[in-house]
Amino acid sequence: MNEMNCENVLMAKMAEIDGEETEISSEQMNLHFANCENCCQEIEQIRFTDILLKRQTRREQEADLWSAIEKQIGARAASQIGWKPFVLLGVLLSACKLLEMVPERDFGLAFKLVPLAFVVALFVFLKENPFKINAELSAREIKL
Amino acid sequence: MDDAAAIEKCLKGEKEAFRFLVERYQKQAVGHAVAILGNREDALDAVQEAFIDAFGSLKKFDRTRKLYPWFYVLLRHRCFKMTARKSATENIEDTEILAARAAGMPDEERFALEKALLALEEEDREIIALKYLDGLSYEELAEHLQIPRGTVMSRLFYVRKQLQAKLSGKFH
Repeated sequence: MNEMNCENVLMAKMAEIDGEETEISSEQMNLHFANCENCCQEIEQIRFTDILLKRQTRREQEADLWSAIEKQIGARAASQIGWKPFVLLGVLLSACKLLEMVPERDFGLAFKLVPLAFVVALFVFLKENPFKINAELSAREIKL
Repeated sequence: MDDAAAIEKCLKGEKEAFRFLVERYQKQAVGHAVAILGNREDALDAVQEAFIDAFGSLKKFDRTRKLYPWFYVLLRHRCFKMTARKSATENIEDTEILAARAAGMPDEERFALEKALLALEEEDREIIALKYLDGLSYEELAEHLQIPRGTVMSRLFYVRKQLQAKLSGKFH
């Protein structure tokens, strides 16, 4: 970078104008400008653009994104529940069925309710309402 | 509440803490996204997606760093993904990069400058906006854009040359 060609000197000069450190010293730059009319002209033009840009400010942007973000976070979290709870439910239901098939063993009527309890427990764990669609429909019907 | 406390709470699953971060940085983020995309509507989508990405990857955030530069990397990734999907619609009426009143600058000149900015490539417009509208140093630009300081210096130089070429004859 410290090679003293026109491009590097111009680049270093702009960095110096930006208040940044450069590998080419001010003396080296001045010496180059004293002997290079093209660079003098070019730096003047770029400097004009620089001054123009320095007078600008960013336009204030109004935004209220929270409600949209909150919805998407909720939806993503729900979709990230994954398959594990359902596999576990499948294993438990299969185990119940196998126990029922054991010959000469009667677990009684209460045992038949165990699979239902597992399913309800899963929905409670997932905080899901399996009747949500109906609930939403009834709410809409009430509004109407 | 500061960023560190909010991040701590977010990691414990408190959504309200994330709301604090969204409300703190959303305007700044939209401003940056508009500068990259040149379009407010796309910018809002990109910022929204970036915040959702941030929520999902807060666990990976190095808490010794400042939050916004980290978030900015996610945001620009979203913006560039969006520009790759569709060609930017460059409509001067729809874009709002520069503030309406620059000191002593007539509207026509501001429009010309805004148009020249919009004619730049997204990455070039981004570096100019961060340098001049946010006043970032080369070091900070290198951090935001994840490029070496030397590359910041050369890119800034060439983008200013491009802008100067686009503006030549429009002023005086």
